[in-house]
Amino acid sequence: MNGRLRVLPLLAIRNVRRQARRSLLTASAMALGVAVLVFSRTLADGGHEDWIESGVRLGSGHVAFQAPRFRATSNIEDRLTASAAATAQEALGVPGVAEHVRNVAPRLEVQGLANSPTAAVPVAIVGVNPDLEATFSELADRVVEGRYLQAGDRLHAYVGTRLADRLDLEVGSRLVLTAQDARDEIAGQFVRVVGIFRSGLPVADERLVHIPIGTAQSWLGVGADVTTVAVLLESGWVVPDVLQRLHDVLAGTSENLVVLGWQEAMPQLDAAIKVDDLGNYIFNFILYAIIILAIVNTVLMSVMYRTREFGLLRALGLTKRQTAALVFGEGVFLTAVSGVIGMVLGFGFTWVFFRNGLDFSFMLDNDFTFSGVVLEPVIVPAFRLVQVVRSLATIAFVGVLASLYPAYRATRIDLAEAMKFEA
Amino acid sequence: MTKQRMPAVKTADVWKVFEHDGLAVEAVRGVSLDIEPGEFVVLAGPSGSGKTTLLNLLGGLTRPTRGGVWIDGRDLTSMSERELAKLRLERVGFVFQAYNLLPVLTALENAEFSLLLRGIPPDERRRRVEELFAVIGMTGLEDRRPAKLSGGEQQRVAVARAVVGKPALVLADEPTANLDSAASDALLGVMADLNRERGTTFVFATHDTRLMERAKRLIRLVDGAIESDDVRQDMGG
Ligand SMILES: Nc1ncnc2c1ncn2[C@@H]1O[C@H](COP(=O)(O)OP(=O)(O)O)[C@@H](O)[C@H]1O
Ligand SMILES: [Mg+2]
Repeated sequence: MNGRLRVLPLLAIRNVRRQARRSLLTASAMALGVAVLVFSRTLADGGHEDWIESGVRLGSGHVAFQAPRFRATSNIEDRLTASAAATAQEALGVPGVAEHVRNVAPRLEVQGLANSPTAAVPVAIVGVNPDLEATFSELADRVVEGRYLQAGDRLHAYVGTRLADRLDLEVGSRLVLTAQDARDEIAGQFVRVVGIFRSGLPVADERLVHIPIGTAQSWLGVGADVTTVAVLLESGWVVPDVLQRLHDVLAGTSENLVVLGWQEAMPQLDAAIKVDDLGNYIFNFILYAIIILAIVNTVLMSVMYRTREFGLLRALGLTKRQTAALVFGEGVFLTAVSGVIGMVLGFGFTWVFFRNGLDFSFMLDNDFTFSGVVLEPVIVPAFRLVQVVRSLATIAFVGVLASLYPAYRATRIDLAEAMKFEA
Repeated sequence: MTKQRMPAVKTADVWKVFEHDGLAVEAVRGVSLDIEPGEFVVLAGPSGSGKTTLLNLLGGLTRPTRGGVWIDGRDLTSMSERELAKLRLERVGFVFQAYNLLPVLTALENAEFSLLLRGIPPDERRRRVEELFAVIGMTGLEDRRPAKLSGGEQQRVAVARAVVGKPALVLADEPTANLDSAASDALLGVMADLNRERGTTFVFATHDTRLMERAKRLIRLVDGAIESDDVRQDMGG
């Protein structure tokens, strides 16, 4: 039954080819649109990956283990016991997680004051394992004076440029850190500046102090406890899966331990990305609207122009539905060809020219910070299979949508009128 | 033949009234006729006399305002759009004044188009079209697109397409209007041959008096009504 209708696709393809010029025009409009879409999408994804990357490096990683109340209180009372931290480390070793883990950094974080003879500034003091932290936070790469912490350091501190200015510090200067310890008493710890960094992020440059974790633990009297086990994964894309796996693994634990994704740990960054995505979606929507109009226009024009031909097909015995199917097929075929060309062009263009990143630094005078994240001035596009699949699906959807109306119009023609010859 | 011979097409007091600028235009006014299988009928009349409208009524392209139309004894007025399409596909062949062919198909593909839609296997399609092409003098031009054919050749392909499915009747609306007299004669000759050799029923509208002379049955239309309906002795030839 369907075999006999094989002539319709054949006709559709030949018709699109016959109107080569018009088809080509639509195809290029569409190809260009899709290329821009693909280009902007890969860049946006790439940009966001950077945002997340910078955010999680300075913050608590893609995922972080903490005591349940710590995020709300930031209080040393709500810390992880050494055995809870060990459970966290074990959880990171299970299949489905282990292969995605890049770095793990245990930290002991406390809010306190940094005092010099001249001033006192509220700071976030982070006790770190220097070796693990050096590759984690990248703060080590932001040294402007001295060096980052090293294994074996004891009474050393790594501070930001703004803090150094406010407390009038230089490498070798002494300062006193004070904070509430595990016994709820104010305790002081004397340290000496070993290095000064500049991250470009004002809050970090003024408020962040790294000291060796052993020093912090004995100063605050917490033994081997930590407040956070921060984890860096291979990329932001695997976070949902890893998080799910970790939730499952930790479901049965009796330890006072939760695992958070960066979205929970850094809600502002998450919101910023969502806002930016929304902007992109609006832009995409407009592009799709233009593409749809271009296709509707081409296909509709060809319907108007070919009333006689459709009249003829109907006279020859095609039903309304078959006539509509023919017009619909032409639209979908046109969309498919131009859409695929557009995708190849878009991905190809982005790959050839921007594979190594698009440098925006010429646009930026100073460090560019956004929602607490220092943005790299170079955006590397992210190529993802899901993006290709999504683009293909969207093209198919657009093709169907744009071909419906002309197909409907083709059924509305009056047969006798279509076949009339004016004398 | 045991049962009574059934007309290829029959109308009974058929009317077609168009609304035009608020005025009723009676394009066909109470036409009743029977056309038997194998007839070759010329429908003559001046421009505007209702020839096209009557042909459209006969072929189910237009629904009558009043009255009935039957093909093979089947009532067209009670058919759905779908049934009408099927009927046109299987029982009616059309030849219009011009632009009869699908420009993207070759002469052969155009000629076999309705066979294709009817699911006739390729071998048989090809055999039937080739046979017809030999009769109408189109052999060798099978692979040409319409744009590469003369007007007369295009019309001959259209005739081939109309008759190849062995329809109850072929309706030709001024098929020679765009042809010079030699090509007109040739086309008419082709149709007459097919009528004689295969018994194909033709209803052929024209306002060319020269062609009227060759009719076996001549129906004259004036103002949408039949003025005369003459069956003449075979003129021979
Ligand atoms: N769709 C229509 N709307 C209004 N009037 C029409 C329409 N089709 C035909 N007519 C009128 O009907 C009459 C017969 O037309 P037609 O059947 O085309 O005659 P012919 O083919 O003999 O020239 C003419 O007066 C014409 O103007
Ligand atoms: Mg006419």
